[in-house]
Amino acid sequence: MEPSDWELVQRCQAGETGAFQELVSRYHQKICIVVIGLLGNREDALEVAQEAFFRAYRKIKSFQGGSSFYTWLYRIAVNIAIDSQRRQKRNPLEFRETMDGLFEEQNEVARDPFSDVHDRELREKLVAAINDLTPEHKAVIILRTVEGLSYKDIGAILGCSEGTVMSRLHYARKKLQEKLSAFL
Amino acid sequence: MRNCEDIAESLGVWLDGELSLADAEVIRLHLEGCAQCDGKRRQLEKLHSSLKSLFEANSPRVALEPFWRGVQERIAERRTWRQGITEWVRSALAGPAGAWAVPAAIVIVLAILSVDSFRKLATQRNNFAAVESIDAHGRNVALWREDETKTTVIWLYHNQEGENESSEENTETRPSF
Amino acid sequence: MSRLRRIPKRVLLFSYLTILLAAYPTGAAENQSQTVRLKIGTILASNQNDEIDPKLNAMKNQLKVMKYRSYRLLKEETQNVPWQGNAAFDIPGGRSLVVTPQEFRNKQLALKVRLQQGDKPVVDTTVRLNNGGNFLLGGPPHEGGALVLSISATAQ
Repeated sequence: MEPSDWELVQRCQAGETGAFQELVSRYHQKICIVVIGLLGNREDALEVAQEAFFRAYRKIKSFQGGSSFYTWLYRIAVNIAIDSQRRQKRNPLEFRETMDGLFEEQNEVARDPFSDVHDRELREKLVAAINDLTPEHKAVIILRTVEGLSYKDIGAILGCSEGTVMSRLHYARKKLQEKLSAFL
Repeated sequence: MRNCEDIAESLGVWLDGELSLADAEVIRLHLEGCAQCDGKRRQLEKLHSSLKSLFEANSPRVALEPFWRGVQERIAERRTWRQGITEWVRSALAGPAGAWAVPAAIVIVLAILSVDSFRKLATQRNNFAAVESIDAHGRNVALWREDETKTTVIWLYHNQEGENESSEENTETRPSF
Repeated sequence: MSRLRRIPKRVLLFSYLTILLAAYPTGAAENQSQTVRLKIGTILASNQNDEIDPKLNAMKNQLKVMKYRSYRLLKEETQNVPWQGNAAFDIPGGRSLVVTPQEFRNKQLALKVRLQQGDKPVVDTTVRLNNGGNFLLGGPPHEGGALVLSISATAQ
């Protein structure tokens, strides 16, 4: 039976690096998706994601299980990403050369969900509309849409109440709908 | 929660599954009978699926091995607390130039009021210690100050005669400076 | 998010600097100091190998002055002692070090230091050093090398 996150954390706190590697294996993809969504830049996102795991490793002894491990990890990653986003001067969603070997080749026959012209225009408008959101509003949209996290978990990650999560989501969706009304 | 305006405000929460069962049922029933609100529901669902597709399309699979190697490298580097502070300071420094006005004013005012403290601070750069008195009780003693590290060293030479020390300790007590 | 997080970092940074500068010890602070924190590091210097204890990295440049090839930290002890009070530290080889902070003047502490072997005094000295600074007292033989004591004092 697979060990729980908390069991792995305890083993890590006892000095077992292999346990931390297992945690990285479980969550690195999820963290990367969220951070790429926040930053729009894969290279920066990988740096931020690795930094998040590094900081989690450094602070693992102080983690007492008050929240779930993934909530705690997401919190670290989102905070670094939001700080990074505030400093970001590059164009959003500009795809650079990927780090060698880090990205597995995409299935070439996978359908691009934005393949037709109408959808490509929607994608461009979506990108522009998302980038007009503040980092905090972008974060709630991504955590809800991509990860399907509950308001409670999102609040724990962002350090705010469920009510705040609800109102930020409502505001962000309203803004996106206003900008994309012709396409939706 | 019966009119269309209320329903529209709660659609997002309803789609997220965060409403109570009772409230969710009220909305479901309303949508069955209201084409306008149902249209808004479809819009919101399309927004949700477009966003999800966009984020997932931009996120290829990340290979674990090289990612883990990157994390290990950071752990191995054991970034020092100084680097942590430097990064924090760097992030604090980033920002529009205008935002510096107030903090800069605080520092300037304090500097003007505390000139004397700053001057005294400048004089305390060395680690010199002054030996005011020394009694080695018949032993030879050397005293020297080293410029590079500003260290004061008092060295006691081991006297062979009349000492009551363990025979296991040898006489290699002279530093070879 | 906590209120602290809402304050821009640059304002926080300068607030910290402001507080640090304001808290910098002045003449008045010298009179208010109640105790002295004494830290004694007992180091074995020898030529038996070429290793320098990693715990002594911060002091490497101070120690290399004595040109021994190897330095090992045997122990480190800290005591808080009131002015004019005696702090006794056990030193290997049946020795003890007694340090008595005398006074704090012009940002320097005066310490009376006695090293003794059993009950016999080996050396008595009075040293004036910068607040938070240290000096080295070395020479007593031990385990094929010599002991070096790093004596530092900080007014609290």
